[in-house]
Amino acid sequence: MTQTLLPVALANYVGLSAVIFFIGVAGVMLRRNPLVMLMSIELMWNAANLLFLAFARAWMNDAGHIFAFLVITVAAAEAAIGLAIVVAVFRTARNVDVDEVALMKG
Amino acid sequence: MHHVMGVDGYYPLLYVIWLLPLLGAVACWAFGPQLKRTAGALGSATIGASFVATLLSWGAATQSAGGALGAHAHLFSWMPGWNFGLLLDPLSLLWVLVITGVGFLIHVYSIGYMYTDRAIARFFAYMNFFVFAMLTLVLSDNFVGLLVGWGLVGLASYFLIGFWFHKPSAVAAARKAFVINVVGDVAIMFAIFIMFSRIGSISFGDVFAHVDRLGSLLFLVCLCLFVGAAAKSAQIPLHTWLPDAMEGPTPVSALIHAATMVTAGVYLVARCWPLWNASPDAQMLVGTIGGLTALVGAILGISQWDIKRILAYSTMSQIGYMIMGVGAGAYAAGVAHFFTHAFFKALLFLGSGIIIHELGDEQDVRRMGGLMKKLPFAFWCMLVGVLAISGIPGFSGFFSKDAVIYGMLQHGHPWLYAVGILTAGITAYYMFRLFFVTFLGEYRGTADTSAPGAGHAGPGGRPAHAPGWLMAVPVGILAVFATIAGYVLIGGGASPWSRFFAQTFPPESLPRPVIGEGLTTVIALVVVLCGIGIAYLRYATKEALANAPTRLARESARMPAPLVHLFYFDDAIEWLFVRPAQLLGEIFGRFFDPRVIDGAVQETAVSSQWLGALVRSAQTGLLRAYVVIVVFGAACFIAYYALAGGVR
Amino acid sequence: MILFWGLAIVLIGSAVWVVAAKKPVHSVVGLLLHFAALAILYLSLSAEFLAVVQIIVYSGAILVLFLFVIALLSSGVAPFSMGPNRMPKAAVPAAILALIALGLFVYGVSRGVPAHPVPIAAAAPVGPVGAPGVFGSVADFGRALFTANLLPFEITAFILMVAVVGVVLLAGDAAPYVPSRKRARRAEREMREAALRGGDTQ
Repeated sequence: MTQTLLPVALANYVGLSAVIFFIGVAGVMLRRNPLVMLMSIELMWNAANLLFLAFARAWMNDAGHIFAFLVITVAAAEAAIGLAIVVAVFRTARNVDVDEVALMKG
Repeated sequence: MHHVMGVDGYYPLLYVIWLLPLLGAVACWAFGPQLKRTAGALGSATIGASFVATLLSWGAATQSAGGALGAHAHLFSWMPGWNFGLLLDPLSLLWVLVITGVGFLIHVYSIGYMYTDRAIARFFAYMNFFVFAMLTLVLSDNFVGLLVGWGLVGLASYFLIGFWFHKPSAVAAARKAFVINVVGDVAIMFAIFIMFSRIGSISFGDVFAHVDRLGSLLFLVCLCLFVGAAAKSAQIPLHTWLPDAMEGPTPVSALIHAATMVTAGVYLVARCWPLWNASPDAQMLVGTIGGLTALVGAILGISQWDIKRILAYSTMSQIGYMIMGVGAGAYAAGVAHFFTHAFFKALLFLGSGIIIHELGDEQDVRRMGGLMKKLPFAFWCMLVGVLAISGIPGFSGFFSKDAVIYGMLQHGHPWLYAVGILTAGITAYYMFRLFFVTFLGEYRGTADTSAPGAGHAGPGGRPAHAPGWLMAVPVGILAVFATIAGYVLIGGGASPWSRFFAQTFPPESLPRPVIGEGLTTVIALVVVLCGIGIAYLRYATKEALANAPTRLARESARMPAPLVHLFYFDDAIEWLFVRPAQLLGEIFGRFFDPRVIDGAVQETAVSSQWLGALVRSAQTGLLRAYVVIVVFGAACFIAYYALAGGVR
Repeated sequence: MILFWGLAIVLIGSAVWVVAAKKPVHSVVGLLLHFAALAILYLSLSAEFLAVVQIIVYSGAILVLFLFVIALLSSGVAPFSMGPNRMPKAAVPAAILALIALGLFVYGVSRGVPAHPVPIAAAAPVGPVGAPGVFGSVADFGRALFTANLLPFEITAFILMVAVVGVVLLAGDAAPYVPSRKRARRAEREMREAALRGGDTQ
């Protein structure tokens, strides 16, 4: 039952990950709702995780698993903080449009 | 090549001696508000414990094995040639004993003296810090550690002179002392530079074993070291800070500016005897400066009316004796004078402190007089001190001063011998002048001394005073030692003193001088008695005492101009250094600063604004715009790796 | 292999759904689908623990947090009021930029990645999911996490704590602490009035 080969070639995983990542990138660039932007960022995190796990499996080294675990933790923290910021901004601005919240103008 | 002075080993007591005062300082500083007056007890206890530890280390300090003498504890190595350690040999043992022993007595005295001061915890933090710094200075086995201690005692001195920082004169005096001391610090630093570049080590042992490598730079090294010693020990022409330093509390004057810190220069010269012995020119210089200082200090002592300033000039003069002794090669004699001086000068200061304390901070002897009846204890203690400093047989000063003066003759310096004897006479004159004017006749002041502590009435009219014994007992103990400390010198070459230092200093096999030691003693004694006699005729006869106020007023009015201006040392420094420095500052302030420096700064600001305006246009505040920029940057990186290199 | 391609289609489709959906709630549903498909893909990569974590943490915790926030913000007077688009012309260039970057990335990677690299160390065999002693089993992962990688693990704990503190600071009770009840009521009233005034300007 022992098998060391991946189900499909490693490059396929890399390509899939890249596609999902850039869909997330496009979401962050195009959407104005901060909630959707945060979700797009989650997509990017997950694309990165997929790469970690694919390489871990390819080289039979579980350091990738540890790293994916770390990424999930950071992603959870990021989501919580991001949503808290959204709530805090909404409290004062009554608005969730990132284009409207442009106080950091130089 | 590594020459260690002292027997290497594990000596835990060395650390106890060294670090206890630091612990006390930190505790007093950190918990001052909680400790309040307990800080005094704590501060004194740490010094006392340090003294006991020193006594227990006596055996280790005087042991000798393999040609090395004393106890040496390695602390750490920084780089080749930079080994730091503690060294307790007979020379540093003597200093540590005086620092912790006399220091302990003065600390106990201070509990009483500073009883009503609100900042008493701060005072003891500084005092303990000073003791720590001084111990660092004398316990170091290398020049850099010595210099660290050297700088720290200057800092502690600065803190304590300016202790009453609400007095502008105290702040000015503290600053003056610090600046002049830093001149000395820098000089020592240069000496260390030269020694390290030539010998490649900073430890005493290595340097003294390779004095020959200094070659033609030896005199320069000696000169730099002596500038440092002169600044710290108030030698001409760097002495002007010492009288001003009397602005500090009297116990400070006793501990720092009489007994210990100002004698650091003597320690340095005595410690570096291999350098001086190799350079007769430097010896000549040091001896001459010491003799001059002794004479000038004594002459200036005549002209003063402030009791503490008289003592300050006498300190300067006595340190002149010590420097003269160690400079001319009579190391053991010069160091002995440090030992006895620590007792009788601390005694004189603390005695005068009692007077100042009881009279409500009065320091002018013209407004004293007749205190023999009011303050009999101070009278007797001061009498012991005055007899000791004047060199009356039976008291400690007699033995050590005689040893120094005779040493001049032995080492072939007849002129310094003459100066020493003359200075002894002047010393006796001005000390007895102080004594007669203060204690005899009628009281000329205004303070009400009928009740003890009248000058320091606490709230509600109730006198706020510490128990009297706190101040009396240390003074009493000092009086005893000021009497007997010199007895260790009895016996010449076979005395306990000579045996104690037998292996520390070079052996002296000198030709017997024309004038024998006995004859020297007689000559000095006659001169001293003459001084006392003149003082008696001028201040203590019935007629003089009866007309004391008018006579003293006339004397201060007719004081010769050079004496009033203190031989113009301050003016010379003002014209030679301060004014040119101010002029230079003026030039830079008028021209260089506004044009060059400010111009550059302004130009920088203007161009930054321009650049900022340019960059600001990109700061739209739109989050998504930033994201696009970031992605563009990332795309550029990806393009580089994808097209140029591929993923390796 | 069929599993991989099927999952790939689901993953890309759901990702596009997340980004393109008009209402945030729909995006959340798309994300849920995405995470579920990813968990299955992880299982096929022998990462069983992370597959479970993916479901629990992402689908269970993070998505619920998103839903909470959407519900909280929608309960206001005007949910998700949008101002004018400040970057109307950015959409096409941004999309093109992303596509170019993607293309370059895939091109670059395809030149450098071996299809089936040789394992560095075949320490454990690959076996059926859930069996101990095979690569990626929970037992192996736990041992690796708590021995060699203990420091990263502790750091995750620290990160989470900082996040909790940050969230409480940012989104916690906005009313400042006032000891007296009367002043608390007044502060509350003032805040309500201020909020109403702010709402009027919308």
